[in-house]
Amino acid sequence: MKKIEAIIKPFKLDEVKDALNDMGIKGMTISEVKGYGRQKGHKEIYRGAEYIVDFIPKVKIEIIVETAMVDAVVTKIRETANTGKIGDGKIFVLPVEEVIRVRTGETGNEAI
Amino acid sequence: MVDVELRAKRDALEYLWRQGLSGRPLLRRHSQLIDDYLVGLFSNCPEAAEGMSLVALGGYGRGELFPYSDIDLLLLHAPGSEDRLGVVTEALFYPLWDAGLEVGHGVRTLDACLVDARQDFLFQVAMLDARFLAGSQPLCTAMQQAFHQELIAGHRREFLQNMMQHRNNRHQRYGMHSYQLEPHIKKSRGGFRDIQAMLWVSHALFNLRELQAIEEAGLISLQEKEAFSQAWDFLIKIRNRLHYLSGRKNDQVFFEYQEEMARAFKYSDTRGALGVERFMQDLYRHLQTVATTTDLFFEHVDETLGAPRANPVEQTIEPGITVRQDRLHLTDQALIEKRPYLLMRLFAHAGKTGLEIHHRSRKIVTANLHLVDDKIRHSKRMAKPFFDVLENAKDVLAVLSVMLDTGLLTAYIPEFAQIQALAQHDVYHVFTVDHHLLQTVAELKKLSLSKTPFAGVESPHVLALAALLHDIGKGHHEDHAQRGSVLVTGIAKRLGLTEAEAACLSFLVEKHLFLTVTALRRDLEDDAFIRQCAEQIQSQERLTMLYLLSIADAKATGPTAWTEWKSALLLEISLKIAHLLERKDTLLPDKSQGADWMLAQVRTLMSKATPVDYKILPEEYLLSFPPAEVAHHLRLRAGLKNEKKAITESADHGLFWSVLIMAHDSTGLLAKICGTLALHGLNVVSAQIFTWEDGTAVDVLNVRPAAAQTYAEQNWQALGEDLNLALKNRLGLSHRLVDKFRAAFRGTGQKNVQAAPRVVIDNMASEQFTIIEVFANDRPGLLYDITRTLADFELNIHRARISSDGDQVVDVFYTMDSFATKINSPSFQEEITKALLHIAGNEAGTGARVQW
Repeated sequence: MKKIEAIIKPFKLDEVKDALNDMGIKGMTISEVKGYGRQKGHKEIYRGAEYIVDFIPKVKIEIIVETAMVDAVVTKIRETANTGKIGDGKIFVLPVEEVIRVRTGETGNEAI
Repeated sequence: MVDVELRAKRDALEYLWRQGLSGRPLLRRHSQLIDDYLVGLFSNCPEAAEGMSLVALGGYGRGELFPYSDIDLLLLHAPGSEDRLGVVTEALFYPLWDAGLEVGHGVRTLDACLVDARQDFLFQVAMLDARFLAGSQPLCTAMQQAFHQELIAGHRREFLQNMMQHRNNRHQRYGMHSYQLEPHIKKSRGGFRDIQAMLWVSHALFNLRELQAIEEAGLISLQEKEAFSQAWDFLIKIRNRLHYLSGRKNDQVFFEYQEEMARAFKYSDTRGALGVERFMQDLYRHLQTVATTTDLFFEHVDETLGAPRANPVEQTIEPGITVRQDRLHLTDQALIEKRPYLLMRLFAHAGKTGLEIHHRSRKIVTANLHLVDDKIRHSKRMAKPFFDVLENAKDVLAVLSVMLDTGLLTAYIPEFAQIQALAQHDVYHVFTVDHHLLQTVAELKKLSLSKTPFAGVESPHVLALAALLHDIGKGHHEDHAQRGSVLVTGIAKRLGLTEAEAACLSFLVEKHLFLTVTALRRDLEDDAFIRQCAEQIQSQERLTMLYLLSIADAKATGPTAWTEWKSALLLEISLKIAHLLERKDTLLPDKSQGADWMLAQVRTLMSKATPVDYKILPEEYLLSFPPAEVAHHLRLRAGLKNEKKAITESADHGLFWSVLIMAHDSTGLLAKICGTLALHGLNVVSAQIFTWEDGTAVDVLNVRPAAAQTYAEQNWQALGEDLNLALKNRLGLSHRLVDKFRAAFRGTGQKNVQAAPRVVIDNMASEQFTIIEVFANDRPGLLYDITRTLADFELNIHRARISSDGDQVVDVFYTMDSFATKINSPSFQEEITKALLHIAGNEAGTGARVQW
């Protein structure tokens, strides 16, 4: 099992969510995050005053999938979240040792 | 096992409930059932026979036992019977525990009761409801008499203060966000504890034990009593079901139970409102009824009994309204009937002074609502104090809440009735719609005191009204923003708004979600989309209002609706739109694609045969034109041979025409171009000016004809020829311009009052350029003179915007000095300013006022 973490642009969330649902992925954790990478924060000047935007709002999606599905899921996220512009985000794939469903106590792939 | 019997009986009760037994009869049946059971236990316990008394306390004492409520018991015993207590308590309480009941039990002597009641107010209150169950009746009676003598008589004021203190603390604790969405029907404002507090105080202070008696004593009115009883009955039914549904003592209407409860009480979905929303609306309404009635009750009793207030002097604020003991009073019923707008003036005074309205005057407002008829709704005398509240009230939320509670707000704006107490069945909107609207007005007020990039609204009353009405269209199936925007047009008319203000109000209501939704769901780097937004919003003023409304709306929605994360996105989109609205010269290709990408596009468009040095193209230039146009410029460049000849091309864009001029750059080129255009009757609207690294100037000027002529009628060829003459320094532009306009306007000679010219040099607004703004009274040759002056200082003009605002023109130039840096030296800035002021103030020619 792997955990896939994708940091994407906020307006792409619905599209990515729908695309993953279509692939049969029904559960995910979504959070509002802020950060910066190569797309550094920037300075806005309006009516003489400066506004520093040091972190850029992004959305983080976390999903756990069977190892066999990783490539397909990553490709789908990459295709869907891509605008070709700077700040499109990143995808991380991490190993997962165990998954346990709280209600039933099921473990492993059953619990995903 | 004896508890089996009890369980069976309680199961039977639940069965009866399922058959339809509910409300008070169920409570009585349940109390009776427990009574019988306990009396049975007691009589079967011989040790309890002497010197002991079993007493029911609290809700059980009142005979109001909800399915899973605590059973509060007191085992009262005479001193000296301690050795028998163990046996008795086992016999009494164990079976109850075994049956799974929550038992609150105390074993005390009479003296211990009094000591505990003195220390613990909650126990004291529970003792008020003491009811004899079994054992020694005289012992119980003695205890009750002692209790009243020692703790109540002579302590009435103290009892009242304690009760009000507890009530206020409880309201604060259960007034938090989580209890808005999921009201706690026992402890929230308007819940059972408020009902009890009123009954306890009536009982302890006035020996009034029934609602009927309280009404007859004049502590509440007949109408209040009826609404209150209805609310009480409703809440009892809800609580019964809530207990059975939860299978435990749960008094909070949790979100997950709400739909099931609504179905059980036969609320079905209608067009636009879910059954569960209508159910919750009724629940909130009843809670509100209890809250309002008990508020007024406590104020009344406190006034009768409480400590005298400071400021006994009566002060008349205006005829019919006085201040007495720090409360506002309506004093003249006859005057109210003559001038119903006094009702609204009362609230304006409450807003201005921060004083509360006396409870009796609040009742007077409610009793006079029938006076607020259609005529009054159209009255300016009503609108003025109303806007005064919206804009100036010290605590606008408090004043509007009372206005809503008394019914005046709904009487004045009947559309408000639709959304009163309306709940939205999601975890996001924690307030009912009416309270959300009041909160939004309050949040808006807070925002106006904080520092935001968008501030300084010209018509704050329109914005405040938009905050109050933005969700007025809710509760129907259609798009609430759309529906609201239609509804507010009628309201605006009644309230006497001008047509422009009404249009603005309608726009704000229709678009109140636009920025928030857009910020979250759209690509903010899509320049074309941002341009569409700017076109929809139209003006800086509207953008500022929308921005403030969006934040106030979100903050008033609930704890999750407004985060720093969303605020960053909202600020980003708003600034982008603002920049576009501020400078109308941003008809640019997609900037984020970058200059390299643009260059690659251009290369594909150029034929391989002509060798081109692409390095000569500045980045800013590449980002300012579509690839096809850049390729076109490159091709024209090949034809540019002679030093003193320009290539001139024109194009028709409907609203304006554009002129492309390419030439070898030389000092004063722009001035010559501007002069020549003027000579040919063309007004420059905006300009983009670039110089390639090889010294080729590429200037695109958007122009409009000064006289009414068509694009075809304009002599473009003559324009090109004159420009070439000017470049060769063979055309005396200055005198020709004066001649041309003197001939055209000789004799008119009229002069308007003119504003003083002004020059602003701004190094902040752009990262790269110094922006020079010239405000001047229009005259022939002005732009020519200004550009010539800038050329004298060897300033490069990269972009220009020329607009006229009445008689004044505003010319904005994006400039850099000859070293391609901003103009930083203060003395140089001053020199430029002086030179430009000289030009702007100079009356050329005859003084005929001409747009050139």
